[in-house]
Amino acid sequence: MGEEHKQPLQSSLRVQELVYGLRISEVMTRKVFTVTRNCSMRDVQTIMKDNSITGVPVVDNQRVVGIVTMNDLMNALEQGAMEECVTQWMVGEVQTLAEEMPLSFGISAFGKFSFRQFPIVNKKNELTGILTFRNINHALIRELSRQLREMEQKSEQPQDQNALKLSKVYPLNRYDFENAGKASCEIKKYLKERGVPPKTVRRVAVASYELEINLVAHSNGGMLGFDINDERVKISSHDRGPGIEDTEKAMMRGYSTANEWIRSQGFGAGMGLPNVKRVSDEFAIESALGMGTMVQAIILLNPRAEHDDE
Amino acid sequence: MKLQRIAHALDAKLICGPVDWKKINIETIFASDLMSDVLMSDRDELLLITSLSTEQSIRSASIVGSEAVVVANNKTVTEGMIELAQDQGIALFCTRHPKYETCIELGRLMEP
Repeated sequence: MGEEHKQPLQSSLRVQELVYGLRISEVMTRKVFTVTRNCSMRDVQTIMKDNSITGVPVVDNQRVVGIVTMNDLMNALEQGAMEECVTQWMVGEVQTLAEEMPLSFGISAFGKFSFRQFPIVNKKNELTGILTFRNINHALIRELSRQLREMEQKSEQPQDQNALKLSKVYPLNRYDFENAGKASCEIKKYLKERGVPPKTVRRVAVASYELEINLVAHSNGGMLGFDINDERVKISSHDRGPGIEDTEKAMMRGYSTANEWIRSQGFGAGMGLPNVKRVSDEFAIESALGMGTMVQAIILLNPRAEHDDE
Repeated sequence: MKLQRIAHALDAKLICGPVDWKKINIETIFASDLMSDVLMSDRDELLLITSLSTEQSIRSASIVGSEAVVVANNKTVTEGMIELAQDQGIALFCTRHPKYETCIELGRLMEP
């Protein structure tokens, strides 16, 4: 399928981990040039030319009501309609993205739609920025350079064998039950060997195992990342879809969309996500239909932060 | 209760296990074919009884810190399960009793 070619970024796990870790709001351009409904196409042309941009959102009381792109401008130019109102030429149905979404959702949106920019909105649906490929490129180069620098520095100083410091990503495929659990077992062993209390190790293992099962049972494939230091274990699960329609429902005990086969494997009782939340100190889930789901679970290793098991 | 006593009562066959498996002390037991339930437990379930004969039963057992797994109903134990049990240091048994009977036997054994 052509889809893969549109997303060459999917190939590297490190890049994947990175695009899931960044929020759109950290990457987007905050200074957005906009016009209002009564502006003319000529106004748009001036704005585009003066600022070297290719799309201008049309805004009414901070809400996006349309967008004028280079294409629309050329059409108007061709028709000699540059003095007409933008509402005559703009695209009214605008695909916006939420600023708190992971950057990966933004990248999928570029693959899914043929737009060159997406207006970004906050929870109140007000325009707060705009996302273009240029933003993504910049952010990736910046972040990758930072990571490479860190790696270079790390390789210079020998690591303490018993120090808790690990960053690892495991890819998981749909219905690959045979490999689900390998990551959890490895991480469990890693923590145990470094003297983490058994109860804590177990919480990490349960969260990670449930997430592994979720990835193979419910997603089109994805990855499970671990970021461990001496304060906490951060587990992040990211997948390539299909996305959860109602995350609140998915968090309800006993709610499940599992099929017979998944049940025959001993899972699909609708306890996975609630169980991950139960054993975690911090828990977050985000999902968008057609784009994917990301879950982040943090388990503190600090004994002062005694976990309350209810 | 020592694992050896349990194995004897269930007429269970040892498939693999650590050298000193007989001395393993079992205080809590969990019986389920639903691994989701096993993972929800927060006691130390030292023995898991299940008729789900898959690698995931061994994995789930290992995740909750079980030291032994008894596969009920004489279900076929796969190579993958054995390898995993060996790797995780879990004693793996098989018994001819169905799961319910297995639980009854253990219940009797636990009576003072």
